[in-house]
Amino acid sequence: MEKMDRRDFLKRVGAGALVTGAGALGSGVMVPTGLWAQAPKIKGPIKVGYQAVLSGTLAGYGEFHKMGAQLAVEEINQKGGIAGVKVEIEFRDSTMKPDDAIKNARYFVDSWGADYLAGVDSSGQALALAPIMDKLDRVLMVTHAATEKLTEEWVFKKGIKQIFRMVNSTYHDSNAAAFIAKDLPALKWATVSPKYEYGFTCWKLFQETLKKLKPGVSFPAESWAPAGTTDFRSHINTIMDANPDGLYSTEWAGELITFLKQAKQAGLFDKVKHVMLPVGAAMDVLEGMGAEMPDNLWISGRYFFLYPNNKDNNDWVARFRKRWNHYPAYVSEAGYSAIYALKAAVEKSGSKETKALIQTLEGMELDTPAGRRLFRKEDHQAMYDVPWGKTKGDPKYPFKIMGESKVIPAKSYFSRPPFEGPGADPPFSS
Amino acid sequence: MKLKSWQMALVVLSLLALVGVGLFSGRFMIYLAMRVMILAIFALGYNLLLGQTGLLSFGHGAFYAAGAYGLGFFGLHLSSHPLLGLLAAVVLAAVLALIIGFFCVRHTEIYFAMLTLAFGMMVFSLLWSAREVTGGDDGLVGIMRDPVSFFGLLEIPIGKDRQYYFLVLAVFVLSAWAVQRIRLSPLGLALSGIRENANRAEFAGLSVKNYRLAVFVISGAFAGLAGGLETLLESNARPFMAHWGHSAEPILVSLLGGLQTFAGPLAGSVIFIAMREMVQRFTENWMLWFGIVLLVIIMGFRGGVVGVFQRLIGQAGGGR
Amino acid sequence: MLQSVVQVILAGLSTGMFIWLVASGLTLIFGVLGVLNFAHGSFYMLGAYFCFTVLKYMGANFWLGLILGPLCVCVIGFIVERFFLRYVYHIALPYQLLLTFAFVLIFDNLVKIVWGAGSISPPALAALGGSVDVLGRKFPIYNILIIVVGPLVALALWGMIEKTWWGRIIRASSSDREMASAIGVRVPALFTSVFVFGTWLGALGGGLAVPYVGIMTSGMGETIIIEAFIVAVIGGLGSLKGAFVGALVIGVLTAFGTRFFPTFDMFLTFILMAGILLWRPQGLFGVAR
Repeated sequence: MEKMDRRDFLKRVGAGALVTGAGALGSGVMVPTGLWAQAPKIKGPIKVGYQAVLSGTLAGYGEFHKMGAQLAVEEINQKGGIAGVKVEIEFRDSTMKPDDAIKNARYFVDSWGADYLAGVDSSGQALALAPIMDKLDRVLMVTHAATEKLTEEWVFKKGIKQIFRMVNSTYHDSNAAAFIAKDLPALKWATVSPKYEYGFTCWKLFQETLKKLKPGVSFPAESWAPAGTTDFRSHINTIMDANPDGLYSTEWAGELITFLKQAKQAGLFDKVKHVMLPVGAAMDVLEGMGAEMPDNLWISGRYFFLYPNNKDNNDWVARFRKRWNHYPAYVSEAGYSAIYALKAAVEKSGSKETKALIQTLEGMELDTPAGRRLFRKEDHQAMYDVPWGKTKGDPKYPFKIMGESKVIPAKSYFSRPPFEGPGADPPFSS
Repeated sequence: MKLKSWQMALVVLSLLALVGVGLFSGRFMIYLAMRVMILAIFALGYNLLLGQTGLLSFGHGAFYAAGAYGLGFFGLHLSSHPLLGLLAAVVLAAVLALIIGFFCVRHTEIYFAMLTLAFGMMVFSLLWSAREVTGGDDGLVGIMRDPVSFFGLLEIPIGKDRQYYFLVLAVFVLSAWAVQRIRLSPLGLALSGIRENANRAEFAGLSVKNYRLAVFVISGAFAGLAGGLETLLESNARPFMAHWGHSAEPILVSLLGGLQTFAGPLAGSVIFIAMREMVQRFTENWMLWFGIVLLVIIMGFRGGVVGVFQRLIGQAGGGR
Repeated sequence: MLQSVVQVILAGLSTGMFIWLVASGLTLIFGVLGVLNFAHGSFYMLGAYFCFTVLKYMGANFWLGLILGPLCVCVIGFIVERFFLRYVYHIALPYQLLLTFAFVLIFDNLVKIVWGAGSISPPALAALGGSVDVLGRKFPIYNILIIVVGPLVALALWGMIEKTWWGRIIRASSSDREMASAIGVRVPALFTSVFVFGTWLGALGGGLAVPYVGIMTSGMGETIIIEAFIVAVIGGLGSLKGAFVGALVIGVLTAFGTRFFPTFDMFLTFILMAGILLWRPQGLFGVAR
């Protein structure tokens, strides 16, 4: 019985190899060449598989993703679709877990027949998806996950060309913050940040860059808050004991609200005058804090709905508000632009095949609500400028907005390919 | 115990179906089937502890993670041979189970459950905080599937999902067979005796603690095997594998299928994964509907799905 | 330094009291019914949401919300016990866990459907939003209130269980169910009342937590239930005194660890939990069952 099992097993493995071999050959033969490639005809519909977190404490982010992507699909279909073909979109709950992210992506591609993937919230999920993207062979447009490893290690070094990122990465949250911080009259900086890779990475990069930009700075205290922290009082005391000039915090979403409220009660903002919140310009935070948001905190994000102040963006915000009765969050803008990136790539290349999309997207410029984006050829990171600004009240809005904003060009703070050796990391001499 | 003819037929049919899935179905189906089999290996081993011995562990995720990270580290630093990696996964998980089990098996019932929970969460926090080694919450990523090589004479590629499927299937069949052998062995009978009445077993001259430790290590080793297989499948290992939420999965699966039967965890694994997939297809509110289905199963099939099925068969056959 | 130590102790005490409010209901239910209720965190969450709703839509003040909100949750607790949990008392412990786990999924999702996916952040309380000066550093009045309310609840519980008729039946039934039943106690009704009361405690904890945490989300019960669980186990499952002491220990320990050891980790909490269980499996104040 046992022996038969083993022999059986080998036979089955052999058979399996044969079948897949044939499959590989088949698809090789099927690739359109010659005449067929000259006159492409897209067979509709174009299907988009979008995953975002739709359950648990961060479910609000998923809803914001959905609003943006859904609006784009409705607009496009109303005007006749992409190259005459309708767009279909399906959303799935990513639950923030890497294994669910993989299952969703596989479902979208292998079962539902998606042509294009977008979404993904956490860095862990993005990194888990990276190694299978060449097998699934669809473009994955990441609209939230921030880890720089995704584009540097996986796209640039390991050549997983299917991955693109629509939004800023950890560099914006750390290096750009350092460029702002260098001009502030603050020499001692401390942090309260999330106790996971994102928080650790940002704080490390912020320190390194700020040290280079402004010799003489010191970092007297750091305090880490695990996911799910509801009581920041000990963290706040850590900071107040160190008596720094500046506070840098990559807390985000609900935990940032809790932190800000408790810090305000404890009088932290009376003592520490310079506060930098790289993801403070998120709509859930601004609306959640309402009038309680202290003034003069430096905030930023992936996009803020009042920037750029041009017709394209203002019109978009109006359309978004009309459709959803909400101001667009940064993930909404990213979700919206992810669909338009697909539209631009398909129309330009005349195909929805992954290979053609990748070729077109590489180095492509795209006008989006957040401004003009350039998908950097080497690592597929979208380069665009997001402002930093100080919170201030405005009678037009029931929440604090970003006043007097300052724009650091993305080019000056994103690490440059080949991401190694001197000259790869900011600040750049030229 | 000899298999009844309908049971034998069921086994053969299931095997044929599994081979058929591997040969003919689409890539997503193959992937789901692998997830089912890996969960089933985890649950089958686990049920030796819960169903057979009556010990409720809330920490087996730790051994699953030990297998996953064990295979990952082995692959990154020593050898990327998948079978050696799986061996390393099993060994590491078993050693960890031996250490943790040594402390836990003196207690039973809720105390045992709480102790295993505490130890499991210790492993979870270690994996989360030892970032330099484990990659923190990002986990170990990019673990690739090299061909299975037999001393350089024969190389079987497993890089494609369809190829890897047959390795998972083989390991699954071997594991199921091994678990069944253990259940029917003198060890298995002693374990049932301990479940029914630990004092009597002690009087009968069994060293209850040692038996419990033995089954704890065995179930831990199966958890490690499942963890190793998943890491090869998903090419990553992550701290959440050791979290109590993941430790609860084999419990859930065993309860769904039925605790006291061999096939319970198998049926439970199929139900768990297939049901979630189906619910997710028709609604975004999958938690709500998944919860409702769980409620129905608990209230309606209190002996697990397999138990109820067997009772129905028994009645239909007019049997005992 | 001294001001920081005092602040950290106060912070630890107030955290501990929140955990205590949740752990007390969990402990009471386990002590009498023998059920480990995973859904207790959901009652905490529902308590928060119902208080908020009463506050917002009925224009009531915070205190009225705190009375009415948890009462609404009690109705839900009643349904859970009377129509579901009651039927699994006689089967194995894991089934009870699974049942309450199913309710966690259902309640989390229902909250998302009813109140929306995004987080809700109610405005600060007008009356109790201020702070007092403690050695030159501000400490919120609200948290001082919590540090007072916690022991009051403990005292009230103690009085109820030791001094009232209901408490005597509870004690009798939790030590010997059959005996209580034989002397004419209607055990099922008693169980329902205890479960509903435990639910009320959890919901009250949730309602009180909102002004302090500053935000509500679906899934907010999951962190607190683990902490309450650890506390209940360390103190001794079923022992209210144990849960009270355990909550203080964990609250103060976490606050100190976070302040003075930046690398402080949950790891230490679980080592403490395992250590206590190995030394005294029944927990600090538990009675071996």
